[in-house]
Amino acid sequence: MSDKILKVPYGTRDILPGEGAVRRGLEDRIGRLFNAWGYDEVDTPTFEYVDTFSNAGNPDLTAFKFLDRNGHSLMLRTDMTAPIARMVATRFRRDTGVKRLSYRSRLFRYEEAQAGRLCEFTQCGIEMMGAAGAEADAEVIALAVQTLLEVGLQDFSISLGQMEFINGLIEAAALNESQARDIKQCLIKRNVVGLGETVAAAGIPKQLADIFRELLFLHGGVELLDDMQGRVLSRRCWNALENLRKIYDLCREYGVEQYLSFDLGLTRSLDYYTGMLFEGYAAGMGYSLIGGGRYDTMMQQFGSPCPATGFALGIERILLTLQRQETVQLTVPPALFIAYAPGRTADAIRLAMQLRRQGQRVKVATFAMDEAEVQNQARINKCDTFRYVKE
Amino acid sequence: MNDYITIALPKGKLFDRSASLLAKVGWEAEGVSEDSRKLVIANEEKKIRFIITKPVDLPTYVEYGAADIGIIGKDVLREEQKDVYELLDLGFGKCRLMMAVPEAKLRPEMEDYAHLRVATKYPRCAKEFFDAQGIQMDIVKLNGSIELGPLIGLAECIVDIVETGTTIRENKLVEVARIFPSTARLIANPVSFKLKFDRLHGLVEDLQRVLQEEKEGKEVPQK
Repeated sequence: MSDKILKVPYGTRDILPGEGAVRRGLEDRIGRLFNAWGYDEVDTPTFEYVDTFSNAGNPDLTAFKFLDRNGHSLMLRTDMTAPIARMVATRFRRDTGVKRLSYRSRLFRYEEAQAGRLCEFTQCGIEMMGAAGAEADAEVIALAVQTLLEVGLQDFSISLGQMEFINGLIEAAALNESQARDIKQCLIKRNVVGLGETVAAAGIPKQLADIFRELLFLHGGVELLDDMQGRVLSRRCWNALENLRKIYDLCREYGVEQYLSFDLGLTRSLDYYTGMLFEGYAAGMGYSLIGGGRYDTMMQQFGSPCPATGFALGIERILLTLQRQETVQLTVPPALFIAYAPGRTADAIRLAMQLRRQGQRVKVATFAMDEAEVQNQARINKCDTFRYVKE
Repeated sequence: MNDYITIALPKGKLFDRSASLLAKVGWEAEGVSEDSRKLVIANEEKKIRFIITKPVDLPTYVEYGAADIGIIGKDVLREEQKDVYELLDLGFGKCRLMMAVPEAKLRPEMEDYAHLRVATKYPRCAKEFFDAQGIQMDIVKLNGSIELGPLIGLAECIVDIVETGTTIRENKLVEVARIFPSTARLIANPVSFKLKFDRLHGLVEDLQRVLQEEKEGKEVPQK
């Protein structure tokens, strides 16, 4: 017997009964919420051409790749934004309306497995394509907050940043490409020490250098925007902050502003964000649970330029957080066990069908038994209640 | 426990300076010592907890959020590549990662060392260094007594941390390349840094001030 028969590959796992039910429930609630906000559920192939993803600027170092019979390189999808961009560029080419799409999909990345993120994982998310304004970004953020509330998360917060603010600083400092890359790398790696060293080596004017050094500490409420607008002279940076203010004001109309704060040094490892971006965190969980932002240049790569914004959340991370916050327990839902005396099988089936139509969860015994056995059989079939059909 | 801040301190040579530096800014707890038998030491009044870990595990504790912050050498941080904030260079624990060979095996050029076996505790950093030079090497991962490798024929050279270089010289090894310098760093879990920003930002500012004062204090007597 091969030693691989009973093992699963690195970074994969089984989902057992209790968890299966809870996950499905979570995904359904999220799906209903997305639907209520007017987002249409779509799906894309589990694997696609490598080119589709590399076109979207995704580093495919983490992809599971393979060849089809014609020798074309394929990969399991590593995110949903690139496939949806491809889909919109090809299937919605003449659709001039705003596209609101949602998905719940399994994704695959070959990377070091972490708590709540294995190589195979599930994301639920939305993309809004064709809307450029703060109104669209505010809707996306408000829906992100609603989603976290809907799944029952307590004690979470959303950090908002703006890539244009960072790009504006880089532009104002007249950095060359490699210096700009070093600075972005330090921001992505959250390396304050390296950022200070890079800024010093680049010889940036003091006022600007100070902002770069503080960048990873620029956290705060809406007053942070006032402070920075008072300090920052570049029009581009000023506009970026003004955009955040507008988004924030609209978020107040949605009643979600209490969950928001600003983090002007926020970057996300994916390179494609062009404007507002955000991440959500919960106490007791060391990783971000939800993330998204504006990516206005990606659709152009697919030959169909159009502004876009969206977010995705990791179901496994949400589930782990809910367990840590003790808001869910991974138990199977209760069920009724119907047992029957010899010769009464048909009656038992009829009863079960009737109760199921009324919404009950029913398991029918797979053999006739004596009344004395029923309680024990109900227990080993994991039913908390039972009925016995006799003469 | 969410209103507590958990600090991971590394066992070993960085421990004393780390604990005393934090104590200087008021982040202390009774019984914080390297040989403490308690696994978690709390200061209820200040809502601080200390845990003491093996240095190589420390970034993992912080990455997972089991500790909010920690103090660790840049050498370990570069080797472990965890997703954490690197907030402050604390300046102490100065050392460097370097490559050394036995005196007898000294060669004129770096390329002359190609295809040799390198004993190291830092396989990732060693590989990055040799890759950048275009030199192919066989890396032998060891967990201690790296200098022993060349002496007994396990490897032809080593990549290791040195402070002064005394151990290297005692073992008749010669440093042939400096890979990078290292000092102790304050690191933080990305989520903790956001959710507990005010306290952690305050800590960074206090530490910066103390480090600056120490630096100025040291320079005065030398003049």
